[in-house]
Order: sequence, then structure tokens, then C-alpha cells
Amino acid sequence: MKILVPIKRVADPANANKVKVDDDATKVTSEGLEWVMNPFDEWSLEAALRLTENAAEKARVGEIVVVSITPGEGDTDHIREALGKGAERGIVVPAGTDEQLDASVVAKILAAVVKKEEPDVVLMGKQAADGDSAVAGTKLAELLEWPVVNYATNIATSDEGKTFEVKRELDIGVQTLKVEGPVVFTSSDRILRPDSIKNGVTPDDFEYADLGDLNSRLSNLKNIMAARKKPIDTMTLDDLGVELGVGTEYVKFTLPQGRSGSAEFVETVDELVQKLQTEAKVL
Amino acid sequence: MANPLIDDRLVDLLLRDVLQAERLTALPHFADHGPETFELYLSACRQLARGALASSYRPLDLEPPVFEGGRVRLHPRFGPLFTQLRELGVIAATRPEEVGGQQMPLTVSTLAHTYLMAGNLSVAALAWLTTGAAHLVEAFGDDAVKERFLARMYAGEWTGTMALTEPHAGSSLGDLTTSATPAPDGTYRIRGAKIFISGGDHDVAENVVHLTLARIEGAPEGTKGISLFAVPRLREEGGALVDNDVHVTGVIHKIGWKALPSLALGFGDRGDCHGWLVGAPHQGLRMMFQMMNEARISVGATAAATASAAYHEARAYALERRQGRALGERGGEPVRLVEHPDVRRMLLRQKAIVDGSLALAATTALHADLAEHGPEDARERHRLLLDLLTPITKTFPSEAGFEATALAVQVLGGYGYTSEYLPEAFLRDQKLNTIHEGTTGIQSLDLLGRKVMARGGAGLRVLAEEIQRALAEAEAAGLEEGLRAPLGAALGQLGALTATLGQRGMAGDTLGMLGHSVDYLTASGLLVIGWQHLRLATAATRRLEGGADAFAEGLLRGARYWMATEVPRVAHLCRLCETGEPSYLEMQPEWF
Ligand SMILES: Cc1cc2nc3c(=O)[nH]c(=O)nc-3n(C[C@H](O)[C@H](O)[C@H](O)COP(=O)(O)OP(=O)(O)OC[C@H]3O[C@@H](n4cnc5c(N)ncnc54)[C@H](O)[C@@H]3O)c2cc1C
Repeated sequence: MKILVPIKRVADPANANKVKVDDDATKVTSEGLEWVMNPFDEWSLEAALRLTENAAEKARVGEIVVVSITPGEGDTDHIREALGKGAERGIVVPAGTDEQLDASVVAKILAAVVKKEEPDVVLMGKQAADGDSAVAGTKLAELLEWPVVNYATNIATSDEGKTFEVKRELDIGVQTLKVEGPVVFTSSDRILRPDSIKNGVTPDDFEYADLGDLNSRLSNLKNIMAARKKPIDTMTLDDLGVELGVGTEYVKFTLPQGRSGSAEFVETVDELVQKLQTEAKVL
Repeated sequence: MANPLIDDRLVDLLLRDVLQAERLTALPHFADHGPETFELYLSACRQLARGALASSYRPLDLEPPVFEGGRVRLHPRFGPLFTQLRELGVIAATRPEEVGGQQMPLTVSTLAHTYLMAGNLSVAALAWLTTGAAHLVEAFGDDAVKERFLARMYAGEWTGTMALTEPHAGSSLGDLTTSATPAPDGTYRIRGAKIFISGGDHDVAENVVHLTLARIEGAPEGTKGISLFAVPRLREEGGALVDNDVHVTGVIHKIGWKALPSLALGFGDRGDCHGWLVGAPHQGLRMMFQMMNEARISVGATAAATASAAYHEARAYALERRQGRALGERGGEPVRLVEHPDVRRMLLRQKAIVDGSLALAATTALHADLAEHGPEDARERHRLLLDLLTPITKTFPSEAGFEATALAVQVLGGYGYTSEYLPEAFLRDQKLNTIHEGTTGIQSLDLLGRKVMARGGAGLRVLAEEIQRALAEAEAAGLEEGLRAPLGAALGQLGALTATLGQRGMAGDTLGMLGHSVDYLTASGLLVIGWQHLRLATAATRRLEGGADAFAEGLLRGARYWMATEVPRVAHLCRLCETGEPSYLEMQPEWF
């Protein structure tokens, strides 16, 4: 099975207080930001790794190609990180600026990459932690005329990706879908549960260790060394026949109000209720 | 926010600007590496350290191992954490490819080690002990011994220990009495008792291999009659693992590193304990000493790591808690602790100790890399520096790190003295570092009696050249006089003192030379840490040319503090050594 995993670099959500907007508040300035792999993409990377390995024997049985569309020169740090976790190959598409890369452009670029790479599955983050638009996956499927399943919580295949049984957990219950590849998935965090992925190769009773706070497995030194020798190809917009043309106009960015951070202690429940009514006005 | 354990910005500055670790990748041994392998490895280690390791630290501290039915059982969370460390590849990271390693420079792995140790030192130490023990087998074992033990140890399937200490022989290993009797099959029968053996038994890996010092029957007395053996808990016989007659006789109840068992062990109660000789007979101590540098650098790095974790606890607390009014103010809202000058003093002192110690550990590791894998014609020079810096790198972070960790307790006030907060635990952990791998007293004798005097003082001359070069670079970068002059003066004082003490030694006045050896070691530490601060300040100054930078400002203040407060103490300590200040030397045992 061949899986394409798009990876976006985003400003570290753990340091969101470092995000600044420019003077006329129409764009986020990127100075001084620490870039990390979009955590939602990391979930998908982990799911893709589980779909393409025999976990019991620690052997790879499929192929993962990570693709990163990066503003400017085409930074490969996060592709290397993914290769260090086990992915086979990388593709970097240097393109424009962050503002120019809206969901429609991203979907067009990815569709062009898919045509060249012909994966069985595209496994994407449900959204990017910076823009939170959650559009690119669906748009990509539309351009490809492929089925799409969003917010997948379980993915199972027993025929190397020809067909899948996918689950989505909704407030009202669990929805189970059958879908034929090729297909676009976006994943929910529950995809990381120890038994969320079945690929017909790893024994069904195999349990992955709990990832704790992590969004994907740690790389290990052996893979990190191997990653140095794994290929990262560059595809330009010309190669892909895509033009930048922004469909989204950003009117205004407003930073969240800093929290006051002060706490006040009250003696009785009555006093609390009264303060919530008169001062906080939340009751 | 969670404790970062170690400041990434410092690690980055050290690797890129101060040590320029990327240059290592031009050497054939490190040719497969690049800045990205360093970065990815550090990143994996820091994620594991800040996540799973750190979050289990307190539970493991609270529930030490259990001794039951002759075996030791670790905390249930220990095993999965050790597996993660093992799978990450830390055990053989620095070792050559042909033994399953990845040839990571010690410079990088030492910094990675600080994250892991700061996160959860008991778990990380089991990996570290295994590396040390396996390295002895790799360096000195014959093919048969390597075949038997090496691959499984580097894979972490079998863990290792250092079984040196005996109840009556700690600092003075020459007095140890564990015996080894040659057996017809070419192995030896080991008999004796060891104490404090860390990682000596557990349930998180299949087997334990004790790198054991023992005396072959008829061997010469003292240090020249000690041999090294690999002694497994279970030995292979007829395709199965059978009991090798090594017994846990007791668990040490200790105040820190609580999750890692330190044990009293009995070897050969039934006369059936097989040991495999590692290296030539009677060369055991010499081989141990050859491997000591790495272990001692690692103790210094660990001390820096624990002090760093404590500092970050104190820093976060001081930025949050409000108490009292600013000096000279009355009324108004209470201010944050960090607004009080004395709290800032405590924090800056901790930071200066931590930053200087981390820089020193990484620097010494760089010289170890270059002494082993650098250009041929420069190896000797790096070897001299490595040997000289090792006892200082072991001791300064351990001694000053204990003070820094105590300051972290102090910053938290009464809360610091409770087990609701972490600094008290770090303080308990920290104390071990001045004791194991050679106490401070022993390090001071090693430095002054051996390292400084070796080859007519060549080590100190090379160090002086390095410091002079750093001074010149600092001047070129525009560092103010006040940041440079004290260091130049202290270097001169220590050099002159060393000449005097050397003459005393040659004249046979051993007491006159070594009576103040710890003062000499302390003075050397203050100087060498000053050198580190000078280099950090130089790198910080260059960064500030690129615009405002809070991190660089902090480094500059740390350097200034060190030059103003600590480096001047070198003169005083030198005077004590030089005059042989007699108060304690004159004390008679019955006067205590
Ligand atoms: C938690 C823990 C884990 C340990 N793990 C291991 C292990 O895994 N393997 C192992 O082999 N050992 C281990 N040790 C033992 C450790 O290395 C010894 O405790 C240490 O070497 C000191 O020996 P000692 O305890 O016998 O003290 P002593 O040698 O009795 O020393 C007591 C004091 O006297 C001073 N002193 C002794 N001799 C001299 C001298 N010649 N000149 C000046 N001062 C001197 C020392 O500096 C010290 O302050 C561990 C110890 C602890 C506490």
C-alpha cells in the first residue's frame, strides 16, 4: 500500500503567545516563530505508519511518501523528521508565502502530486493548527473525484488498501463506512488509540503502546541515520503545472486577549454565585 | 507550562556557535552525520524526557523497588520506559557501526543525556550503566567474550553493571578481595561480596552482566593485582540460560535515584559463579581508568541536568507567586517573587552554575571526540585537555550543582521544603554525584597528583592556550574589560601556584603539595567555568548584534556575575594552597 501524507509546518501551538500580526492586521508575521509539524498531520503520519508495517516484527510492508508545501526555499526539516519516524520518501514543493497557500491552492498542488505519485491513500490532518479551516482534504478529494472520509477514528483494511472499513465517532454514536480506494482520509486524535488501525498484516491482537502526550511515535536513532540517505525530491509549481492564485482574502486578524491570570478566593458558595452573576456576568 | 528540563536555546548555542559541532562531521568517523541527525536525535530525546520520563519521575521516586524471593522488582512503569529508551537507540548511540552503534559524537550524546537524566535519572541510568559496561567489553574483551555479551548488551536485552565497590573497599579499590579461581574450561570461578551495585538485579530485561573487579589467586597485592571479569546473572549452558550463582543479599535504602536499585550482591556462594576474563590478567584497574573519562563526564552532565531541572522549577515559581512589596514600596499589590533582588540573586546564581556546567560537560565531551577521532596530529593535545578537564567536569557540577539545587528549594520557601514540589527530590538525587564514580576528595587527588603534573604540566599549558584564545576572541567581539580581566588574572594565579606545588611534590613534600587538593580543585572549577561563561558571553554578544534577544541578555548577565563574584575567589583559594593554611592539617583525631 502506498500512502501520501501531506505535512504542513505551523507555528508551535504550545507557544501561541509568540504569534504576532502585522501593522494593518491582515497577516500573521512569521518572525521569531518556532516551526513544528502540524500536530494533526502527525496523527495521520502515525496512522499511515501503522497501516504500512508489521508492528509485531517491526518491519515495513508498504510505502509512505510525505509531501510538504513550504513557503520560500523549501524547508525540509519536517520531512526529515517524518523520514526519521519511518516514512520512505519525501517531496518538497517550495511555493509562495503562507498567505498565498490557502486551501484551494494547497488542494490543487496536492492533486497534481497525487497524479504523479498515484498513491492508494492520501492521509491528511483534519485541519492545520494555525488556520483551523479544515477544507483542504475535502477539496483535494473533489479535485481527484475520490471518496473522502473525514475525522476517521478507525481504519481497517485486509486487502492492502483496495477496500477499507472506516469508523467515525459522532456524538450520536459510531458510524461505520465501507469505502474503496483510492481514497482521502482525514483523521481524528482517536486514530492514535492502540487498536484503531488494522492492516491485515500486523496481528489483530497486537496492541500499540500508549503514545502519552506525543502526537506520533518517537524517531529512533537508526531511522534518523537511515533518513539521511532517503530521497527528498523537489517539485516546483512549474513541474506540477499549478499557478498560485489566492481564493481567500484575509480581512483582519485579531490576537486573543491575554488572560488576566489573577485569581480571587471566595468564602462561601453564595458569594461565588453572586460574583458570577454580578461581576463575571456568566449566570 | 511543563518543566523544559534543559534550555534548548543553550544547547543550540553550544552546538552551533560555541563548539561548532558541525565541524565534527568533516571527520571520517562522523561522516554519516550532519546537523540534522544531531537535531533529530536531540529532539527525540527531549520529547521522551519531557513527556513519559518526566511524568513518571515522582511516582517512581515514591515507590522504590521491592526485594522479594531473592529477586528485585522495579516500579511497573520502569519497564516500558526503559523499552522506549532502548528502542530510541541511546545505549549504543556513540558506539561504532560494527557493534550496532550509530557513531554519534559524544558531544551530542552528552547533551542528549542531560535531557534524559533531567527527566528521570533512575531510568536513564540503567541505559547509561549498560553502555559503560558494554564499552568495557568492546574495548578489552577477546572475540569469544564479545560474542557472548556485546550485541545483547548494546541492544539493551541484557543490562550491565559496574561491580567495583566492596564493603571495606570503596575509594581504595586496591584493597578489594573478591577472588577469581581459574577453571579447566578457561573461565574463572568468582567468589566475594560487592555493595552498592546499581542496576544489579531487576525485572525489566532478561539478564544482567556484572563487569566485576576481582583478584586472580596468587595475584600481586594492591592495585596491580586486580582483573576484570564479565559475570552474568544467568549464563548460557546447552542453549539455555541457567543460574550463575550471583545473589542479591540486600537492597540499599537510599535517599535519591530511588527507582534504580543499588544492591549488595554475593558471588559464588555455591562455588558455581562463572566469570569471563576481560582483557589481560591484573590489568583491571588500568582498563577501568581508561574508561573513566566518559563515566565521569556523564556524572558531571547529570549533575548539571538535575540542577537545571531544579532551576526551571524555581524560575517558574518565582515568575508566578506573589509575595510582599518591591523594595522601598509600601502598599499596593504584592509583587512576584522575581521582583525581589535576593530572589533574582538566587536565580542568577543557579543559572550561572547550570549554564557553565552544561557548557563544560559538552566541551569536555568534544575533546573526548577529538582525542579519539580527530586529526591524528591534534589528538595528543585533545587527550591532554580531556584528562585535565575530566575531574573538574565530574566535580564542579556536582558540588556547585548541589548548592544550586538547594537554592531552588530556597526560592520556593516553605513550599520548597515539602514533597508537594520537586526541588526537594532533585536535592536528594543531586547529592550522589559528589560521591559515586570517585568522591570529590578522590577527584582532587587525581587532578593535582596526577593530571596536572603529568608530562611536566603539559595539560595546564594547553588549557592556558585555550583560555587565552577565548580571551582574544572575546576582545575581538567587543566584550567589556570587566568580563575578561578577572579570568586572565585567575589563570596567571593558578599557573604560578601549580609551579610552586609541583616543586614541592618533586622535593618530596607530598603534604605541602596535596594538603589543600580540594581547594585547588575548587579554584580550577571556578576558572574553567569562567572560561565557559566567557565563550557563552562572546556568542551572546554576537547574537545581540542581530537585534534584541532576551536569552543573550541573560547569558551576558550570568557571565558578568561569574566574573565579578566567583572568579575573584580563585586568588583566595590559591593563597590557601600556597601557604598550606594549617588549621585542619594540624588537627589531631582526638581534637574532633
Ligand atoms: C547510590 C549509590 C550507587 C552506587 N553505585 C555503584 C555501582 O554501581 N558500582 C560500584 O562499584 N559502586 C557503586 N557505588 C559505590 C561508590 O562508588 C562508593 O560509595 C564510593 O566510591 C565511595 O566509597 P565508600 O562509600 O566506601 O566511601 P569511603 O571510601 O569510605 O570514603 C568515605 C569518605 O572518605 C574520603 N576518602 C576516602 N579515601 C580517601 C583518600 N585517600 N583521600 C581523601 N579522602 C578519602 C572520601 O572522599 C569520602 O568522603 C554507589 C554508591 C552509591 C551511594
